[in-house]
Amino acid sequence: MSNRRPLEHLRVLDFSWVWSGPLVTTMLAEFGAQVIKIEHGRRLDNSRLRGKPLREGKPVDGPSIETGPYFHQTNHDKLGITINLKSPEARALLDQLIGVSDIIVENLSPGALARVGAGYEHASTLNPRIIYLSMAAAGQTGPLSGLRAYAPIMSSYCGFEALIGYPGDAPIGMMNFGYGDPNAAIHGLPPLLAAIYEREATGKGQHIDMSQIEALLSVIAEPQIDFFMNGREAAPTGNRHPGMAPHGIYPAAGEDRWVSIAVADDAQWQTLVGLMGRPAWAIDAELAQAAHRIGRSAAIDAALAHWTAGHEQAQLVTSLRTAGVACSPVQDIAAQWSDANFAARGIRKQTVHPITGPELLYHAPWTMERSAPEIQASAPLLGQHNDYVFETLLGLDPEHVARLKADGVIA
Amino acid sequence: MAALDSIRVVEWAELISAAYCGKLLREFGARVDKVEPPAGDTARNYGPFPDDIADPESSGIFVYLNSGKRSIVADMSTAPGLQAMHALLARADVFVTNQPLALRRRLGLDAPALRARHPGLIVVSLSVFGDSGPNADAPAQAIDAYAVSGTAWVIGEPDREPLIIPLLQADYQAGAHAASATLMALIARRRDPAGRAGLSGETIDIASADVFAAAAGTNGKVYLYYGLQKWARAGRRAYASGGPYPYVILPCKDGAVCLIGRARQEWTRLVQAMGAPAWTGEPRYQDLHAMGRDYPDEVDALITPWLMRHTRAELLKLAETHGFPVGPLRNMSEVVASPQFAHRKFFRQIPHARLGAVTVPGVPWKTVGRAACAPVAAPRLGEHTSQILAELGLDSIEARS
Repeated sequence: MSNRRPLEHLRVLDFSWVWSGPLVTTMLAEFGAQVIKIEHGRRLDNSRLRGKPLREGKPVDGPSIETGPYFHQTNHDKLGITINLKSPEARALLDQLIGVSDIIVENLSPGALARVGAGYEHASTLNPRIIYLSMAAAGQTGPLSGLRAYAPIMSSYCGFEALIGYPGDAPIGMMNFGYGDPNAAIHGLPPLLAAIYEREATGKGQHIDMSQIEALLSVIAEPQIDFFMNGREAAPTGNRHPGMAPHGIYPAAGEDRWVSIAVADDAQWQTLVGLMGRPAWAIDAELAQAAHRIGRSAAIDAALAHWTAGHEQAQLVTSLRTAGVACSPVQDIAAQWSDANFAARGIRKQTVHPITGPELLYHAPWTMERSAPEIQASAPLLGQHNDYVFETLLGLDPEHVARLKADGVIA
Repeated sequence: MAALDSIRVVEWAELISAAYCGKLLREFGARVDKVEPPAGDTARNYGPFPDDIADPESSGIFVYLNSGKRSIVADMSTAPGLQAMHALLARADVFVTNQPLALRRRLGLDAPALRARHPGLIVVSLSVFGDSGPNADAPAQAIDAYAVSGTAWVIGEPDREPLIIPLLQADYQAGAHAASATLMALIARRRDPAGRAGLSGETIDIASADVFAAAAGTNGKVYLYYGLQKWARAGRRAYASGGPYPYVILPCKDGAVCLIGRARQEWTRLVQAMGAPAWTGEPRYQDLHAMGRDYPDEVDALITPWLMRHTRAELLKLAETHGFPVGPLRNMSEVVASPQFAHRKFFRQIPHARLGAVTVPGVPWKTVGRAACAPVAAPRLGEHTSQILAELGLDSIEARS
């Protein structure tokens, strides 16, 4: 039975850039949608601007805007066209594109697309079936709606960065991770897919105004509810868990080697005590109960770390998992890349980029038996599909397209 | 009419991941029947509770995740309990669960068994490592997802233990991905003649480790490909500032701010806001990449005295005036008081029998021109058992153990 492509009947105009919006549209493409990414030669997606990758220590051949792995990851399986949205002639092109499209995705400042003739009101007048997903940092309305935001700025605003740190110390945040972007993508996708499902019945499109900051608030409900209920302010809790102890990351033998350990219940604590050889500190009737272990987490963590530091990482993982206690190696990205479980799960697929050659890209992390995500191509070169989109899809005369290129409209 | 009005979801879930999936589907109108064991979903025992007094009917997180669902108590260790489950599944479109794989297999509630018995069903399982692969039967908690994916590796101080992302984010992410995959399967089913005839279901297997591996890998493989120093913990900044200076959290007069510049003009505007101190004109402070990569601490030390003279609110005002990105680190009292969220009516009052209402976050999207659904209470344990059994024609069968 062939794999189903549930979105193969849909065309998407993608005005989004960086990570959050492009991740939404690249997932749509993995399920068959034709995604047309709109760029402009003088206003590139800034994820093209991260320098040249190295291969065996040397920069790869080709222009740096085409060779970056980050851009390939977030834009694979899209068509790429270039339009100068500020030129008056662009409006006619956009009108035609909107007329033949089903979905628009954008993560620009509120009002930016309306100013160039691609706002929702205009688009829905041209095409009442259009589903239009806006993903501004703070949403389309309100005093903060003009906020210029990178992911950690959003997670600062919503109180999340202030909760990342070691217990008792000042917050240090998670600046490396950029959690706000993938979280925004996976909260933009559900209302978009629901709108597609609904349109199959009603024939009508809609405008979805999502807020990336509110998407972060949606996943950190506990400290908000606790504040509303009890007026309590949350603080960094490090690696601790509200219902489990020990729960944390502990050193293994060697330089910068670590394991995670989570003891889910009292029986697992006894298992761990046994594995440690029943040290005197752990043979303590009070510690048999989770509530008491949670209260004495700092002392338990220190003693447990002393024990783990004497054992190899792989040995700890094997012996704890075999005994039924959750334990994993803390892996860097290279170890993740070669991890046997991820390989067996098939979380990456190989494709070929026209300049950099074979590469592995992550697809939507969904294992689906009959409608699996597919990766068929890498990211588009800048303007690679101008001729296809303007001549074949829109049916424009090649001479007209040539003139638009010469005039800097398609550029 | 809501998009999923005609969709029935059966949720067999503990705590967060599958319940968040069910909650998101509920937001689009799906009817969600939550099957609970006699002791109730474990989330009922997690707070926050009003005045910290534990009560399975007033757990804040339970109310947040389960508002608008119906609760049926059915004990899966008994034959009548399993019979009730299968009667529910026979009329359902979607089954969502985060119960352990071994338990599902033992009860015949794993995906292959369910697809054989209920061919049209969309079976959605959520876990840390997934239902396939060498780790499928390994014991696992959310923390394992951050460990193996490369996430924890990059959070924390370089000379201390790696840190997780707190508040069980692995579970929330798995839930949001599962909801999206379920919606994709519903679209596929509607377009498939066998699907419309109720003969063609789907198996969806969501692993939070996979979710975080893809997210960490998107950023992390830049470092891998570039053959640069490995991506690693860098305390309150991104590793090597992730490129140009600044990308850092720094203290200010009344707390801390997150300061980010990716383009030279953002740095130029910050310099203007500081009143263009003499050091910013020196040759050593012109190459933003060198500043970010090679001596960011030195630049931090030059900026911090200026930051320490200003409050977060003053810095935000300066950022707006001059146009550079600043994020004040906020605590919850400041967050919930933000006029932005009041303007967008983001927070919701969920009706509650004893408390009157529980205030929880709303959903992060508005469908312009359509009214949001009125908030509905979370179910009391087993509140709808009799009603649901009657619907199923099982009113004479005792499903409680």
